[in-house]
Amino acid sequence: MNLLKSIDKALTRFEGYILITLLFVMVVMAFLQVVLRNLFSSGIFWADPFLRHLLLWLGFLGAAIATSENRHINIDALRRFFSKRMRSAVEVLTDSFAAVICYMLAQASWTFVQGEIADRRILFGDIPSWYAQIIIPIGFGLLVVHFAIRALLHVWVAAGKGEIE
Amino acid sequence: MSVWIFIAIIVLLAFLGAPLFTILAAIGLYAFTSAGIDTSALIIDLYKIADTPTLIAVPLFTFAGYLLAESKAPKRLVDLAQALFGWMPAGLAIVALVTCALFTAFTGASGVTIVALGGLLYPILLKEKYPEQFSLGLVTASGSIGLLFPPSLPIILYGFVAKVSIDKLFIAGLIPGVILIAFLSIYSLRVSIKAKVPKTPFEWKNVAKTLRVAAWELPLPFIVIGGIYGGAFTATEAAAITAFYAFVVEVFIYKDLHFFRDLPRVMKRSMILVGAILMILGSALGLMNYLIDQQVPQRLFEIVSQQISSKITFLLILNGFLIIIGMMMEIFSAIVSVPLILPIAQQFGIDPVHLGIIFLTNLELGYLMPPMGLNLFLSSLRFEKSIFHLSKAVVWFIIMETVALLVITYVPELSLWLPRVLGTQ
Repeated sequence: MNLLKSIDKALTRFEGYILITLLFVMVVMAFLQVVLRNLFSSGIFWADPFLRHLLLWLGFLGAAIATSENRHINIDALRRFFSKRMRSAVEVLTDSFAAVICYMLAQASWTFVQGEIADRRILFGDIPSWYAQIIIPIGFGLLVVHFAIRALLHVWVAAGKGEIE
Repeated sequence: MSVWIFIAIIVLLAFLGAPLFTILAAIGLYAFTSAGIDTSALIIDLYKIADTPTLIAVPLFTFAGYLLAESKAPKRLVDLAQALFGWMPAGLAIVALVTCALFTAFTGASGVTIVALGGLLYPILLKEKYPEQFSLGLVTASGSIGLLFPPSLPIILYGFVAKVSIDKLFIAGLIPGVILIAFLSIYSLRVSIKAKVPKTPFEWKNVAKTLRVAAWELPLPFIVIGGIYGGAFTATEAAAITAFYAFVVEVFIYKDLHFFRDLPRVMKRSMILVGAILMILGSALGLMNYLIDQQVPQRLFEIVSQQISSKITFLLILNGFLIIIGMMMEIFSAIVSVPLILPIAQQFGIDPVHLGIIFLTNLELGYLMPPMGLNLFLSSLRFEKSIFHLSKAVVWFIIMETVALLVITYVPELSLWLPRVLGTQ
């Protein structure tokens, strides 16, 4: 159980570093683009597609961390009335379900990316678009890992053998 | 038969608290598979997130909002507002309403307001001799007002989903937003007169002092509100400036947040919200397209129009429906229902911009509704009061908001006049 916890923790920390770097790039670059456009009537030609794809990366990394911190948006009205162990038992069910769905989405997005590679789509300049899109299958893959770990951890709690957080 | 089993399982999982994006994705996967379409088509729709320039505003505004919430900006804001308006009857209550509205607009309706500002305002309200019940109701209700003002995230998302200009929505929300605050202010005025709340005298010295302290943050609302209302720049450009400016001011000028100790935490927290929102949006996009492809909205309209013939009845039922949704779901997931409602509403002659305003006002009210409204739970955690106690405290706020909602719903000109006059596209 401790091993699972530390795997999740290490993964989340790694995701956090990338997330912070990318958000920093986005804040600076979006501002720079506004300044260039409005004050100098110019701009970086690839900034817009770059920023739009950066959003995708931020979204998936944020979602991965949201999973490990149990911050996804859900209907928790019913859950509030459960006891602690009962809640964990339910979490095993819902987290396993989420892991399966994310796995199917990861597969679907891998098919999507393969199609883009085969079509030799271009993002801008001579950068192939799959460089940016690869985050979709990777992101869903990360979600599978986080959800699966959560489900396993909750088996422990439901059995009355430990705590999470 | 198997369809019904699938629906039963999905509904059960949703109510047991499975992440909503997985629920939406499961429905999408099921629908696509049974229609014989490859599931990668779902991803093609999800990928549209990277195709919409306005969505870049979402992480930028969220980051700016979290920066402000975690700094001492709420305190500076309250101090300044109190120095300016504290002398008026019900001054402090109105200060609370206005600052909370401003703050909610910046942070989205994620409960940040109740935690950051409510906790600050509640003790001040009590100290100034406002009744306990009223103060509690006020800080609870204030958690969601302000969704109609820029740069509110739900408006941006509604615009994206409904394919309506975001700038136009922001301008349309101005008058209804002010009406909502005005109605709550009237009630606050009545309470403070009845409870004989003492007024604080107006002092130039205080105004000057608090102005100086908050000087660096003052341009922010003007960048956003002035920029968008004045047409100086788009919502996305305003977001870029706001995020950069808030970052520089809070980290390097006020030094409320340490670059290495605090900033990574704030960044991560804000992006968790962005991730959660984008997952819902991404998994809903494919499903929405499928439903529209299958002409589900058209069929729904045919069913609805057999039962309801007048626009007024339709709006009334819509109000009730949305309040229940708002009570049960976060605003961000409720927005997923827009593509189903919008075509029906248009058949009844309701403008998509007006629908957006109705939609968000309803959800604001839904947040307050006992027994499940989100604000009640946040407030109950923050102030350690029972849901029952809070439900009693918000009764009058619900009544006043309902009246405002009805006015906003049945007088479309309140929403549509300003964008028309300004000629916003």
